[in-house]
Amino acid sequence: MRRALVVLGFSILTIAAPALAQSTSAGRGTVVIVTAREAMSPIPTLFGGDAANREVSDLMFLRLADLPEDLATTDEPRFVPRLAKSWRRIDPVTLAFELDPRAKWHDGAPVTAADVVFAIERARMEKLDGQLAGLVRRISSVTADGDRRVIFKFTAPYAEQFYDAVYHAPPLPAHLLARVSPDSVGASSFAANPVGNGPYRWKRRVSGQLIELSANDDFFLGKPGLSRVVFLIAGDTEARMNLLLGGEADAVDNIYQFANPERLGQNPRFRLYPMPSLMVGYMLFNQRDPADTTKPHPILGDPAVRRALALALDRETIVRSTYGPSSLVPAGPVSAVLATRLESPAPPRNDTTKAREILGSRGWTDHDRDGVLDKDGRPLHLTAIFPATSGARRKMALQAQEQLRRIGVELEIQPLDPPVYVPTRRTGKFDLDLAAVTQDPTPSGLSQSWSCAGIGGTNVAHYCNPQVDTLLARASRSPESARKLWRDAVVTIEGDAPAIFLYAPVFLYAVDARFEKVTLRPDSPWSEVWRWRVRPGQEASRDRE
Amino acid sequence: MKESVRYALRVTWARPEGRIGLTILAIIVVAALLLPPMLQDPRAQPDILNGSLRPPNASHLLGTDHLSRDVLSRVVHGARVSLAVAAGAVALSVTLGALIGLVAGYAGGWVDATAMRLVDGAMAVPRLFLLLLIAAVMDHIPLTLLILAIGCTGWFGTSRLVRAEVLRIRQLEFVRSAEALGARRRRIIFRHLLPNVLGPLAVATTLAVGDVILLEAGLSFLGLGVQPPTPSWGGMILDAKPDIISAPWTSLAPGLAIVLTVLSVNLVGEALRDALDPRES
Amino acid sequence: MSWAFRRMLQAFATFLVAVVLMFFLMRLAPGDPLSRLGDERPFSPAALATLRARYGLDQPLLTQFRAFVKPLARGDLGVSIQHPDRSVNNLIAQRLPATLLLGGTVLLINFTLGTWLGAWQAFRRGSKTDHLLTIFTLLLYATPSFWLGLSLVWLFGTQWHLLPVAFMHDPLLSPDASRLTRWTDLLRHLILPAATLSLVTIAATVRYQRAAMLDVLHLDFIRTARTKGLQERQVRWRHAWRNAIGAVLALFGLWLPLLVAGSVFVESVFAWPGLGTLAAEAIGTRDYPVIMGSTILVSGVVVLGSLLADLAHRWLDPRLREG
Repeated sequence: MRRALVVLGFSILTIAAPALAQSTSAGRGTVVIVTAREAMSPIPTLFGGDAANREVSDLMFLRLADLPEDLATTDEPRFVPRLAKSWRRIDPVTLAFELDPRAKWHDGAPVTAADVVFAIERARMEKLDGQLAGLVRRISSVTADGDRRVIFKFTAPYAEQFYDAVYHAPPLPAHLLARVSPDSVGASSFAANPVGNGPYRWKRRVSGQLIELSANDDFFLGKPGLSRVVFLIAGDTEARMNLLLGGEADAVDNIYQFANPERLGQNPRFRLYPMPSLMVGYMLFNQRDPADTTKPHPILGDPAVRRALALALDRETIVRSTYGPSSLVPAGPVSAVLATRLESPAPPRNDTTKAREILGSRGWTDHDRDGVLDKDGRPLHLTAIFPATSGARRKMALQAQEQLRRIGVELEIQPLDPPVYVPTRRTGKFDLDLAAVTQDPTPSGLSQSWSCAGIGGTNVAHYCNPQVDTLLARASRSPESARKLWRDAVVTIEGDAPAIFLYAPVFLYAVDARFEKVTLRPDSPWSEVWRWRVRPGQEASRDRE
Repeated sequence: MKESVRYALRVTWARPEGRIGLTILAIIVVAALLLPPMLQDPRAQPDILNGSLRPPNASHLLGTDHLSRDVLSRVVHGARVSLAVAAGAVALSVTLGALIGLVAGYAGGWVDATAMRLVDGAMAVPRLFLLLLIAAVMDHIPLTLLILAIGCTGWFGTSRLVRAEVLRIRQLEFVRSAEALGARRRRIIFRHLLPNVLGPLAVATTLAVGDVILLEAGLSFLGLGVQPPTPSWGGMILDAKPDIISAPWTSLAPGLAIVLTVLSVNLVGEALRDALDPRES
Repeated sequence: MSWAFRRMLQAFATFLVAVVLMFFLMRLAPGDPLSRLGDERPFSPAALATLRARYGLDQPLLTQFRAFVKPLARGDLGVSIQHPDRSVNNLIAQRLPATLLLGGTVLLINFTLGTWLGAWQAFRRGSKTDHLLTIFTLLLYATPSFWLGLSLVWLFGTQWHLLPVAFMHDPLLSPDASRLTRWTDLLRHLILPAATLSLVTIAATVRYQRAAMLDVLHLDFIRTARTKGLQERQVRWRHAWRNAIGAVLALFGLWLPLLVAGSVFVESVFAWPGLGTLAAEAIGTRDYPVIMGSTILVSGVVVLGSLLADLAHRWLDPRLREG
């Protein structure tokens, strides 16, 4: 018995000792990025603009040019050359791009003008991705002039022509994809082994666990400083945190996804990098009756009630407790990036007394003294839906529920599985929807969810104010006053209270301190990883592999 | 009936396990019944930015959680919910199980065969899967429906147990003679068979209570059980999960509450089983 | 023989009931498996219709059931909706080894340590150690697996850095590492989840074994063996134990669902890439083919397990064989 114990103890010790590093000298660094969702495919535009897909695709597929650091979509001269070496404006509706002759696909073929044309043509196919087709609708034609030169023509002069040309649809290898029918790309050998042109090439996928990319040492903009990028997938928040704390992962995009981010912040192994995000979250008021969407909502149809509810919430506390002290309370549907760019004002502070007064003046008082306001026998009871997978929104919903309870509003919170949440939201079967949206870097995207024309599309709450539509339309036509017009539109929306605009997070990225030259981008955080280096002498065992 | 309850209590108390179990259980029940008026509002979030995740102190005996709510108050209120769900669900499943077991066992033939194949089939699917699916079907679950769901997926085992007992008792002299005397079926089932399966049924019931508490905690942990603002133990662990390192009290308190309750119920069940088991006497 | 045949038929019927039950219960659930969260650009209506037709979701329920059962008879479980490039067979085949490894380890621990403890306890019935062990095992049984798992991760993973906190392999372990390194790595990853699941399930084994031993210790042939002057030790371990283990075997079928349920929680806490998490995810995303595939597999194993246990029980237990 005793001998057995000794043997057992010994084997536990050997097992518990970390496995010895199998060191070979090949590697010059590995970064392990831990992420919640697995990218379906790294091929841009073919599988929707999903954030998980983009993290990978932006390392494999370059655009003609990247947005300037502040994401100013209208600032043509400040775009950063990538596949395009230079560009020239021929007239107000024509742009010419000159491709970098050094740019090559991972299979060795040069990147040509035909690849650019091919990608835009695929993007314009309505049946593949209606929304993407909508984004490039104002490009009237793309033509190749020789192998290195591409001419874009637009339907009319407008402020964001350049952005539309380079941003939405990165070039695709026409020599590999032209013969694959657009419907069957997902099942093709290209999907299994995608060929890009960026700093990293596809290495392998272990489904449900990781995606590994390896450095493209012939990358024409410079040899990547790290030889491996691994996206480690862990659906569970705690598992993600434990991987970081346990030293098995190096980087994460938002430490506020963890309920107790100080653990990473105070850990000397990590450096934190603040980055305003493109995300904006709000509690959307349904303006139509969930039971019959042709009728106005019996409670929320009244703008005064919506305004009162917005006033009742202490948005400042909700945001700071969920997304940290540097995140913003947005006025209107603007992310932190857009709020800074538009210099939009801060929203009014919460005022529960006034909220109560407004509700009282609209006939909502506690007649039956049960603690819940009522009017004509109907209690002020509302249901808020949100995806059950979102911890942050759960935390905010719990706070909203309690704050509203104190002014006599009963908020029922209803976390839904994503496959239920999405159709519920789309068909307008909700009172309130705790939505989080990653915006395009341009305010012109506002017209999708906040214009009368968006009804039937992403404007699921039936918010419609013609004045906002006019402002947005004017902004897109006039580059000089665009910023002021966009700001006016946003402020008007906030005033109408179609939603309680809750959070515009500034994310804190955590990255292992052994990396230097760390740069991140707000529109695609990891796309500059190829510039990172491991500090000499601080290599971890996985860096040498 | 009163008689048999008193007897059950006496024999349980006679065993050390039973004594420990009954004592803990009594403390929990009394706390759940009497304490709430003396505690803070379990829903109140007095100061989220500065008062969250405070360790135990004089004003919050078990500390506060991530929304600055009082953990003690939530554990005590959670006890009410957990016990109510357990009691309701078990009452339902035991009644269903006993009825179906009695009928199947007594009727025999194709009724019995069909019922038992259905029960086998249902038992071949893990109960958690069934519940996950039911939770998906109902997409949001008020407390009563939760009780119904847990109750309706819990009777399979009980019905087999009761059926086996009935098959055994049916062969005994007194049932045969009652049948020979032309007693009506319902009378035989309720007057002769039921009282005689009460013993094993009591044991199964007690043990089922523990299982249901664990199950409800698990469902709430997956975000599918009791919905806020009603506090529940599983929901508290779900909320506390990210803070398990920096604020262990937030998960320790509901965790221990679950462990103690389930333990006490199972101790009582085991003691009862020992007492009713002929081998032991 | 006819008994075994009837028992097999019965097992098959049970399996069919489970399949039908799951299929229709699943389809009662609201939700659209084709909607995906986080897609800023949802599928276009035309694309949606194509996809719906591809999965037969536009057909009446009975047609869908028929379309599902036919390939099932050939062992084909269909194509996943969430992973359109993967067949369900392929997904399951990929996840199965992890679950088998974890479940197998736990079963092994339960069988050896659990039955031994139960027997040991039975011989000391009524003693102080018996009562203490009873309380201790029930304490473990009362511990929620997810809570225990989280606590162990905290202690061994993030506080002491002794053991890995998630996954089944070090994902970065190079594919050409030596066999020893790979096995050590696997073993290190296995310790925490296996310990968690064993700790919370072992109580059932110990209790059953204890009861079964008590049953057997009263029987005539044990008394006979004793009077024959066999050593007490021999009586206990050779005769009693061998016979009682049959009763425990019979519970094999009951343990499997317990393990599966436990593994849903344990797998999620340790990001263990097994069937439990696959099924739970599939329910969350309404990936019908994957839900059906994994439950069919689990029910099949449960039914088969209890069938084998019954057969083994009959073979092992002299009372049933001769009687």
